[in-house]
Amino acid sequence: MIRFLINRLPSFVLLLVVTSVIAFALPRMVPGDPAAALAGSDATAEQIEAIRQQLDLGRPFVVQYFDWLGGLVQGDLGTSILSGRPVAELIGDRVESSLELTLVAATLMIVIGGVLGVLAGTKQKNWIAGLLDGIIGLLVATPPHVTGLVMILIMTLVLPYWPISGEASLISDPGYGFQLILLPALALSLPQAAAVARLIQSNMRTVAQMDFVELARAKGVPPRRIITHHILRNSLGNALIVIALRVGELLSGAVVIEAIFARNGLGQLAVAATQSRDYMVVQVIIVGAVAIAALVNMLSEIGLAILDPRIRLDTK
Amino acid sequence: MTDTAFSGPRASKSRGLVASMLRTYASAFRRPRGMLGLAILSVIVLAGLASPWLWPGGVDQQSRDSLLGMSLAHPFGTDQLGRDIFMRTIYAAKISLGISVVAVPIGMVLGTLMGLSGMISPRLGTICVSLFDLLLGFPGLILAILIVLMVGTGWLSLVLTISLLSIPQFGRLARGAFLSEQAREYVQAATLLNISKTKIMLRHILPNTLDPLVVQLGLVLINGVFIEAAISLVGLGIQPPTPSLGTLLNSGIRYIYQQPLYAAGPTVLLLLLALSFNLMADALNAATGRDAQGDR
Repeated sequence: MIRFLINRLPSFVLLLVVTSVIAFALPRMVPGDPAAALAGSDATAEQIEAIRQQLDLGRPFVVQYFDWLGGLVQGDLGTSILSGRPVAELIGDRVESSLELTLVAATLMIVIGGVLGVLAGTKQKNWIAGLLDGIIGLLVATPPHVTGLVMILIMTLVLPYWPISGEASLISDPGYGFQLILLPALALSLPQAAAVARLIQSNMRTVAQMDFVELARAKGVPPRRIITHHILRNSLGNALIVIALRVGELLSGAVVIEAIFARNGLGQLAVAATQSRDYMVVQVIIVGAVAIAALVNMLSEIGLAILDPRIRLDTK
Repeated sequence: MTDTAFSGPRASKSRGLVASMLRTYASAFRRPRGMLGLAILSVIVLAGLASPWLWPGGVDQQSRDSLLGMSLAHPFGTDQLGRDIFMRTIYAAKISLGISVVAVPIGMVLGTLMGLSGMISPRLGTICVSLFDLLLGFPGLILAILIVLMVGTGWLSLVLTISLLSIPQFGRLARGAFLSEQAREYVQAATLLNISKTKIMLRHILPNTLDPLVVQLGLVLINGVFIEAAISLVGLGIQPPTPSLGTLLNSGIRYIYQQPLYAAGPTVLLLLLALSFNLMADALNAATGRDAQGDR
């Protein structure tokens, strides 16, 4: 495993370096004077000059980049151009909201996906199997924001008093916070849960036809035990990798869900910073998001190898 | 793989085969599912195209009657500026669909060529595969943000984002088809006849990999509409007052209690479009002889 990590490290670092160069270079490649573009059309000459100072535009590009990178490594994320507050502080304010949403959504995804998948993968009466297939197919094809909108519309009709938009901390106000987080987390998790369910379902069908299951059946192992001990155990392996990949999609989908349900998470920070061209904030968020996505990807490969000893990480 | 009406491989040189391919695709729309899907889409597109004549006042015509309920004059009521929501929703569908219809074919052509590029040089092929993986693993909204930083908000950034995100959707299919076609006799025969590799790729392999790509087109097109809605909803796409499904949803959500139809209209349209494209993809699937659950 250590050799795997060492082998993977170069491409991981390369991806991060390329992303950071792009995230850093793009705003500075805007045609014309970036400082003037940032200050807006009715800024005075002094304001433009101040921004130029702040962005260090006078110095060569490469020097600026390594300065910023050096800061990142030491934990100095820079200062927002717009608000003048440290980027680390801005991100810190939003982390709890995003973390709560992602964690609740990930839990729902695993539980709902697992239950739906196992139900659909075991023999059911015809109409139940059809219904499950239909539900899974529908949910897979519908992205989180559309699911969320449909849920909001249904809720305003069925339970008009259920709070829809806004947020409350799950730690300091668990009751209200939970009411508020349920819909967005559900909307975020359902499409991913359906994808997980579909994978478990097709895995279970494949495994159920293998010889060792036949043997167990011939030995007289009770059907329920065949499902739990023989089929299920051999079906969940690569569901894991899909779940991990889906966590990355949860992060991406969360941005839109935050907008719909008026939650102040990191996604909203990224969008607001992009709209106001607050590059110091945007570039940190981009590098962070890509790093998380790449890390999750790598962890899932390791997890897969631990579950299935036939997969050798070292030989890659 | 493609044991359909044609038992042998296709060669695009013969006119008859091109025509029969088109006939296969057209036959999909004689199936009930294909017909229903096409009908839903046609109604939406025709209404969008006819909107200048249906509502001569234009989409941005404001009035004092803000946030009215349902009425004959305003089937979905009016918005915060007294504009007719029904008209704006129809118009928005046209814009959102238009963006996807421009962007996805770009991704289809690029993705297909990249997927088949292993024919020209195996090295190039593997490079393209890792590009597909990179694009698939890259968080979609971060990509959108990067593009907005480059070209600003608006239709151009949406087209770029959607076409980039569609590349791997077609590329991986084309790559899979290429790998299975590559080993077949007709490709070897063509190679022995000293036909150039580019020509083999475009003239011989491409026609034989087209079926799954055409089916995929419908699914990626609706995905493009969904992406437009997501990015504009967040505020990084089409900017108000231009109506698109995303911008309407953005304001609709804010008036959800006063005017539930404001958000309901675009949501229902999104669902109808999704239904229509999925029905058509299903019908094409059946017409080209693939089962609906297949390669996904």
